[in-house]
Amino acid sequence: MPDKDHKCTCSEQPLVPKVVEVIDIIDRTPDVKSFFVRNVDGNGLPFQVDPGQCGMVSMPIGEAMISCTWQEEQEYLEFAIKRVGLLTDELHQIEIGQQIGVRGPYGNGFPVEACKGKDMVFIAGGIGLAPLRSFIKYCFKHREDYGKITILYGSRSQADLCFKEELFDLWPKESNTEVFVTIDNAEPDWNGHVGFVPAYLEELNPSSAGAVAVVCGPPIMIKFVLQSLEKMGYNDDQVITTLEMRMKCGIGKCGRCNIGSEFICLDGPVYYLKQLRDLPPEW
Amino acid sequence: MKVLSKTKLEEALNKLSQANEVFVPMQKKAQSGYFPWSSFVSGQDELMLEALNVYQSPKGAVLPQTEKMYRYKQGGMEINISETFEDSHPTIIFGARACDVKGILAMDEVFLTRGYEDSFYKARRSANTIIANACYEPGSNCFCNAMEVNAVDPAGADVILRDAGETLVWEVKSEKGEAVTAIIADLLEEKEVQLPQPKPFNQKVDYNGVAEKLKTMFDHPLWDKLSASCINCGMCTFVCPSCYCFDIQVKMWGEEGYRFRAWDSCMFEEYSREAGGGNPRGASKERFRQRFLHKLEFFTERYGTPLCTGCGRCMIVCPTDVNIVRIIDAVKEAEVNA
Repeated sequence: MPDKDHKCTCSEQPLVPKVVEVIDIIDRTPDVKSFFVRNVDGNGLPFQVDPGQCGMVSMPIGEAMISCTWQEEQEYLEFAIKRVGLLTDELHQIEIGQQIGVRGPYGNGFPVEACKGKDMVFIAGGIGLAPLRSFIKYCFKHREDYGKITILYGSRSQADLCFKEELFDLWPKESNTEVFVTIDNAEPDWNGHVGFVPAYLEELNPSSAGAVAVVCGPPIMIKFVLQSLEKMGYNDDQVITTLEMRMKCGIGKCGRCNIGSEFICLDGPVYYLKQLRDLPPEW
Repeated sequence: MKVLSKTKLEEALNKLSQANEVFVPMQKKAQSGYFPWSSFVSGQDELMLEALNVYQSPKGAVLPQTEKMYRYKQGGMEINISETFEDSHPTIIFGARACDVKGILAMDEVFLTRGYEDSFYKARRSANTIIANACYEPGSNCFCNAMEVNAVDPAGADVILRDAGETLVWEVKSEKGEAVTAIIADLLEEKEVQLPQPKPFNQKVDYNGVAEKLKTMFDHPLWDKLSASCINCGMCTFVCPSCYCFDIQVKMWGEEGYRFRAWDSCMFEEYSREAGGGNPRGASKERFRQRFLHKLEFFTERYGTPLCTGCGRCMIVCPTDVNIVRIIDAVKEAEVNA
């Protein structure tokens, strides 16, 4: 369950960003790039994150809340960012060495402790793999704490698949782990599965016994995946998702990211489906 | 009891203004709200201490309509965010009514609790003293008594004024209140005066059970009817003493500028519109429902008290006659499926 005892770990000025330097940029897809940042003096990080937590990325043009990738060696922060708006458009044009602002960490993160001993089923679509990747990496780092790991990932096309090295190279080599990848429509040089994530999920039908499903993707995918999971026998306390809303402050003050009396930036973004059922259906 | 003769009121405001910015209800040309006493122009502006509610609440004293946050410099690959603008100059809100004080107490909950203290709000609020003005005769739109507000004994005030005709009773309630009282001690006199009898409220509102009932009414058809006339202009949020939602924006001139925040409104479509185009409250009805649920249900769930303080301003300014009292009534009367 998300921790309601919020502890500010950022600073006495939670709305003021810290300046960091972009030390590397990796193209993940034509419209997704990973930005690696660390303190400008080359030492350390502005903050550390737990899997599923977010950071506010700040440029003069604006700020946006972005899931921050959990790293085993906390030497840099990674933000995998899709180009969708004004800020992200500008971010996609910067070069290595550019300074930007970041503030955080925000949000509750995934319940990594509560999931120990469970079989993990990760279901992601598009850029939705970015937050789950933190949890997946965490599981592999603490491999003996988790049961079987199933990863199901889909995107519109081959070109849109994020984190290909991990999907095709690294993760399938982990013990007791299966990785399934699908794209929406057939392509000449694609030998893998073709079809939407929910249908593929039902076909694979990973057992709900002792399992937890973690879901993130476009709203329409989430909607149908949740229906599929229910059909497959997953209870509402066996399903976790991480939500997205427009955010400005990141600390539960500015108002806009509420769903009912919850502020997604502060109380979320990670929820069990059981908790979401108690909230107004705005997620 | 300590009293301040009304003949000495201006002198008191002058004294208080020597070391404080004193926000006083006044009519300033076409504007009615809380303005610094230092800006008062005799013969042109009108002191509105006896008015129940001036148009604008005093919330701007602790959460200004726009507020600089920090300076932003960008040059080539470098940026600089070193200078921040926490503003802790001493301020006094003079003459605030209980409903408006309650609005600030609600904002204290938002900005100063739940793990994160907002440094900008904290700076202003710490340096802010509230001299409230007790109400004995509710206005035609007042219903604060239904919203956990005591009009005669405003909670959260540092000093309470009580209008006894020729004099203002000066009742000190806190250490901050003592500090401002010391400034004008020579103007106060000890005198027993007759206090007015509180008059009954004209609006009859029953908020009991509304928050709980609303929990079952998110999809109720009554929202279609209630919101039909709303044009999402945002006037209600602008004049509301407890609406605190803000936007964060930047003003840049070339490579230099500052980040600032400004009042925002849940009535506006951009408020919750995401970069990808999605918007959980894209429709007018959805935003309307959000506003009233926030006021009457969500805030109560989270902080234990409603976010409406019963001041009645939104009912007066609404150009399409949306009326929160009628909404509470409609919720009370609505049939819900068990």
